[in-house]
Amino acid sequence: MSQSIKVEDLSVFAGNTRLLGPVSFAVSPEASLVIMGETGAGKSLIAQAILGTLPASLRADGQIVVNGRDLNTLTPVERAAMWGHELATLPQEPWRALDPLMRAFPQVSETFRHVANMSAAQARRATEYAFETLDLTGAEWRLPGALSGGMAQRVAFAATTAGNAPILLADEPTKGLDAERHDKVVSLLAEVPASGGTLLTITHEVSVARRLGGQVIVLRNGQLVEQGDAETVLTTPASPYTQDLLNAAPQNWPRSKPHTAGEVVLTARDLTLARNGSPLVSGFDLTLRAGERVALTGPSGVGKTTLLDALAGLLSPVRGTVKRAPSLSRTTVQKLYQDPPAAFPPRVPLRLTLQDVARLHGTDWDRVELYLEDLGVHPSLLERRPDAVSGGELQRISIARAMTVGPRILLADEPTSRLDPITQRDTLAMLARVAAKEDIAVVLVTHDPCIASNWADRLIELA
Amino acid sequence: MTNHPDMIMGTSQPVARVRLSPSRMLGLGLMALLAIAAIGGPALIGGDPAKQSLLHTLEGPSPAHPLGTDNLGRDMASRLLSGAQLSLSLAFLSVITAGLPGTVLGVAAAWFGGWPDRVLGAFADAVLALPGLLLVLMLAAISPGSWWALYAGISLTLWVEYFRYTRQRARIVLAEPAVEASRLLGLGPWLLIRRHLIPEIGPGLLTVAAFGAATAVTAVAALGFVSVGIRPPTAEWGVMMTELLPYWREAPFLILQPVACLVLTVLALHLSAGGARRP
Repeated sequence: MSQSIKVEDLSVFAGNTRLLGPVSFAVSPEASLVIMGETGAGKSLIAQAILGTLPASLRADGQIVVNGRDLNTLTPVERAAMWGHELATLPQEPWRALDPLMRAFPQVSETFRHVANMSAAQARRATEYAFETLDLTGAEWRLPGALSGGMAQRVAFAATTAGNAPILLADEPTKGLDAERHDKVVSLLAEVPASGGTLLTITHEVSVARRLGGQVIVLRNGQLVEQGDAETVLTTPASPYTQDLLNAAPQNWPRSKPHTAGEVVLTARDLTLARNGSPLVSGFDLTLRAGERVALTGPSGVGKTTLLDALAGLLSPVRGTVKRAPSLSRTTVQKLYQDPPAAFPPRVPLRLTLQDVARLHGTDWDRVELYLEDLGVHPSLLERRPDAVSGGELQRISIARAMTVGPRILLADEPTSRLDPITQRDTLAMLARVAAKEDIAVVLVTHDPCIASNWADRLIELA
Repeated sequence: MTNHPDMIMGTSQPVARVRLSPSRMLGLGLMALLAIAAIGGPALIGGDPAKQSLLHTLEGPSPAHPLGTDNLGRDMASRLLSGAQLSLSLAFLSVITAGLPGTVLGVAAAWFGGWPDRVLGAFADAVLALPGLLLVLMLAAISPGSWWALYAGISLTLWVEYFRYTRQRARIVLAEPAVEASRLLGLGPWLLIRRHLIPEIGPGLLTVAAFGAATAVTAVAALGFVSVGIRPPTAEWGVMMTELLPYWREAPFLILQPVACLVLTVLALHLSAGGARRP
């Protein structure tokens, strides 16, 4: 059978440093390949090398053959001409990739019209059909900003596949989606090989790889760790790293052991909240006890973050009350953020940030170093600025920063949703350990039901 | 990205290190030379910029007068240096008197929002509605030829730039989750300003200041040239251009001197402003 993509000895270099490879694989039509690995493993480099969109400072070596054409023999213009016609890409976080000033329907129909070269009437019919099959009825004339994450992902999917390219590259297609939308996108992708296309998916989620099947490539630090059938790799992996990756999936986490909760630290009564005038949460009650681990779940846009802000005292409720235990000061409630780099002053070395907090709260620096050690943060990282450490490291530093204050309550807003499974597991395990040690109550917002049920003692679902 | 090339190793310097591009180095070098010449030059040359010598008018360069003499036989070199002193000191002072209130009010507007923001914004808009030179002209008309009127007019015009820049940037920075996190951690206003606002806004403010200084230098010369700013016999580049303009055929090298000084100063200021790139 002919192969639609054949990659041989692909390596990517920055100067003389090898960032990726060598990697070889071949995918046939009606087949799927999943590229797995942690953040920074070089997964996206493969996609960029195939598309020809590597940054100018990087150089690719090796042979890539797409539909029988050797890409090394093509000019950049000829390669760009393949986009949309032979190779299509489903971008990461599509709500950022869609044209924010163009409504959903024309955004999709212009691809039918100009990439698939249909007449205006044909393009309109094709778009109507796509919106119907993708369950987007009603969203036709909305701007991307007014679409939910899942809808934006499906509009992007419609626009991407409108050119009828036989090969689809999906780069982290489930990033930032809640569980339900996550499943929808994966079933859409699974239809691509079923209807004769070739699917290349980049993901760090084991569950996505499992659903899509086909071939699997596991990368670590740019090196090929394992390659083979999804069946084999995902059930009986040969390498310990793949095994670790599989074990790190939240459904395999040990259930948290129930423990006796302490005195009440925070109570919320009959809380009704609104953001920008639109009502979100109503009649919410919560009694939080010291040392408790509570998971807060619910679909996107239901008001999880808003609720957390109200508990932190950052937002005043429309109705109802949030009360800390009388002995607790304002700073005993601390927050962990979804995007750790955005939670630190960007141009300040991390050490200075931690020193400020330690000085303000009279915490010994030795104590801060103890927290850092406990969280596995190497002290030399503190000389850097936030953008020069990895997301996992920075989230652990932000836990240490919160600990410096001596908190009684930690409010964590999807603190690991941007991290790969191994880092996610380790970070949450460390959070649980330090919280247990100091008898801190943790409220964790998550969209992953497995994390919620395995990590927390108590589950609150917002609907 | 564990090996970021620009990370600061082993330093507790909170303000971002500004990478100097070659053009910015050139601009700063020129500014340093101009400042040294303006401060130390008159003492070094020792000539009196006002001393006339009607026997030696419109002369070319000579050992006694290295840049020649003007239509009244005054030494060009000491006049140019004296003009540099006047322009640069006025530019420097106006940067301070416009920059300080502009920045402070900009931070205040962004910080408090609500009515203080609206009142300050409306005030700034009102100043902006007047063409910059018009305000200076009005003040110059009240007190003709006065250095103070010029200084006050330029400062009053230029503070708006600082205000608008600071307010706009500070609003964005203060809305970041990083500031919310710092507030929750108990950081007070002073630390929020030092750790968040100054590192984020500082480099851009230096750029605004350099452009503001260039505007001030140009304004002084322009008003001097149309005889509403500094008056003769004070040595000022614009005034010198007016005085030497009738003699441009006989002694073109004379009028070119104040023009070159003005161009060089403005160029140096623009270069030192524009080359700033944050790492």
